[in-house]
Amino acid sequence: MIPIAHFMLISAGLFCIGLYAVLTRRNAIQVLIGIEFMINAAVLNFVAFGKYDKIAGGGQMFALFAIVLAAAGVAVALAIILNVYKYFKSIDPTKTDTLKD
Amino acid sequence: MEGLNFLENRGLIALLAAILPLFSFVFILSSKRGGGANFALSTISLSFLLSMYLFSHIWNAEPEHKQFSWFMIGKVQFYAGILLNNLSILMMVLVSGISVLVHIYSREYMKNDPNIHRYWAYLGLFCFSMLGLVISDSLLLIYLFWELVGFSSYLLIGFWFSKHAASQAAKKAFIMNRIGDLGFLTGILIIYTQFQTLDLARLFGDGGLISTSSIENGLWISGSQQIPAIWLSIAGLAFFLGAMAKSAQFPLHTWLPDAMEGPTSVSSLIHAATMVAAGVFLIARIYPVFDPLVLDIMVWVGAFTAFMAATIALTQNDIKRILAYSTISQLGFMVMALGIGAYSESIFHLATHAFFKCLLFLAAGSVIHQLHHYCEKYKHNFDHQDIRLMGGLRKRMPFAFFGMCLASAALVGLPLTSGFLSKDSILIRTFEWTATREGVFVILPWLMVLTSWLTAFYIFRLVFKVFFGESREIKADKLGQISDSPVQMKYVLLILSFFCTFIVFAFNPASFESSWLWKGFEVSMIREISVYHWLVPLILNLGSFLLIFITYRIYVLDNGPQSMKGTWLYRISNQEWFFNEIYNFMFIRSVERLSLLSYRFDRTVIDGLVISMATLTKTISSIIDWFDRRIIDGLVNASGSLSRYIGRFFKNFQSGRLQHYLTTMLLVVLSFFILSYLI
Repeated sequence: MIPIAHFMLISAGLFCIGLYAVLTRRNAIQVLIGIEFMINAAVLNFVAFGKYDKIAGGGQMFALFAIVLAAAGVAVALAIILNVYKYFKSIDPTKTDTLKD
Repeated sequence: MEGLNFLENRGLIALLAAILPLFSFVFILSSKRGGGANFALSTISLSFLLSMYLFSHIWNAEPEHKQFSWFMIGKVQFYAGILLNNLSILMMVLVSGISVLVHIYSREYMKNDPNIHRYWAYLGLFCFSMLGLVISDSLLLIYLFWELVGFSSYLLIGFWFSKHAASQAAKKAFIMNRIGDLGFLTGILIIYTQFQTLDLARLFGDGGLISTSSIENGLWISGSQQIPAIWLSIAGLAFFLGAMAKSAQFPLHTWLPDAMEGPTSVSSLIHAATMVAAGVFLIARIYPVFDPLVLDIMVWVGAFTAFMAATIALTQNDIKRILAYSTISQLGFMVMALGIGAYSESIFHLATHAFFKCLLFLAAGSVIHQLHHYCEKYKHNFDHQDIRLMGGLRKRMPFAFFGMCLASAALVGLPLTSGFLSKDSILIRTFEWTATREGVFVILPWLMVLTSWLTAFYIFRLVFKVFFGESREIKADKLGQISDSPVQMKYVLLILSFFCTFIVFAFNPASFESSWLWKGFEVSMIREISVYHWLVPLILNLGSFLLIFITYRIYVLDNGPQSMKGTWLYRISNQEWFFNEIYNFMFIRSVERLSLLSYRFDRTVIDGLVISMATLTKTISSIIDWFDRRIIDGLVNASGSLSRYIGRFFKNFQSGRLQHYLTTMLLVVLSFFILSYLI
């Protein structure tokens, strides 16, 4: 039986890697990949904790739900990135800074 | 019919006579041509004719008094008008008559002056002021004309104002007269305070306010009004001060000799009829106001002035200066006579003096005139007013010589002249008056006799030096070039010579009581002592003749006693008793010192105060400036920059970069967790 702490550590590591990618990458696609990492870290946590809800399997349910949502979110995000590229001719998030004051 | 009405209205005639010269003044000054002689002469002649007409009607008849209301102050009504009595009508004739002669004379004398039209205009103003002065019926009006006389004399004395001495003399005359004017004004104010009127007839007439006012218990009472009695004396003294300045009495006499800087014809006018006569006239006009104390002061001032001026005249060398001092001396006689109560004698002397002094000046003027022409013609420069340089002119200028001799005789008071009548009458009165007094008054008549003798010496010294002996400056062969004055001047001299004889004033050459002029005034109160009536003229004339003889020996035959030159007596006399120096030292120098002192005070104290105040203000304001700049502005700036820095700091968060936002968000969440963990 793999202790829950290992799942948590793997999940935290995944989350941190995702977060790092989100914060540091110079490519919107990679940032998106980082986000996927972080979602999957969360999904991993759902599944891990789902072990303790054997009757309803709520954790599994949530994990599925989150995967679907993440897929939808990626579709939307990719569409946004496509539009950003059309507008800025670049998908480097440091260049799209027209929101600055 | 209208003309008849006009002639009936005597006030109007007098007014016209006075205004005519003013008209000439305005007309000539506004026309600005280099002439005006004829116009001036015709107006003054008309004035003279009108005066004569009035004289024939008013002399010894009912006085004429016309007035109209002038203005009101509070409840007091002021009147302006004309008061013609014996005194004023005599003065009118005198002033206009002398003026006519001087005008005729001036036509030749001032002929080539470039500013001649100014001269005629000023003469007009002068005559107007003097005529106005004598006919005015109120003290206020008299004061007005009094000032005008002073002003026009200033203009005339300074006529050649480009000459430094002339402008200085004019200023001196004006300033000295201002001192007197102050006295006059004070007198007017006192009289007004006491009587609430300045009307001459009401104040000084028969049964007037002055004569009905009384002095009781040291109070001067008039009606319900009463003030301390001392004010009567002060009023008298104040009026007398005014008269002193105008009539050049000691100690305000020093302007008159300096006034000789004016044209000689002007000097003659000033000395004979206008200006200096105004002082004596004023005293005579307001005679009742003087109380015994003031009259005594008047006696001594007059006597001292007469004596002093006579001693000064002894050693002067300027022909006009000698005559100026002789005028001061004679005015002293008149003032003294008024002081002892010899009213009619004084006026009598004023009238006779007017003619012979005018003649003296005009004769001297013709000498100066002819010598001046000689100087110009032959380029021979010398001071043509210095009697030491003249001499031997008797044969060259017989008319001037004749006039001068006759006038000198009248001045000395030799028999058959007008001066004999008037001057001896004053001396007789002095002797009679002194008989009623004791103490120091005993020397008074002898002082006057001595003065009279001195007169004989100095005036004949002038005559002998100018007309006798050898010419000292002009060479004998050139003396023939000097001719007698032009015909108009000669006539004037002749006419005036006639007026210097006794016949004009009295039929009896030995008795002044027979003079119509003397009788025209109130007979004086002095008790007559008949022995004096022949003794005094006798002593006087014997002495005078003796002195004239001595003078003749000294100056013509040149074998007189040793010269007095160098002695201290001579120095005092020649330096005019050092009055100018004393005044210079006492008043001018002290005023100068005072002004220097106040200048220094101003510079150091006042300026210092101002400057230190300024410095203080400057310092305070610089401190405030610093405070403002550093503290107030600093606060404002600090808050400004603080918000700027804060703004800048927070601006950095708004970088527009997605990842930065995310980082920030992460940090916030992290710090929230850290904080919640710590707390």
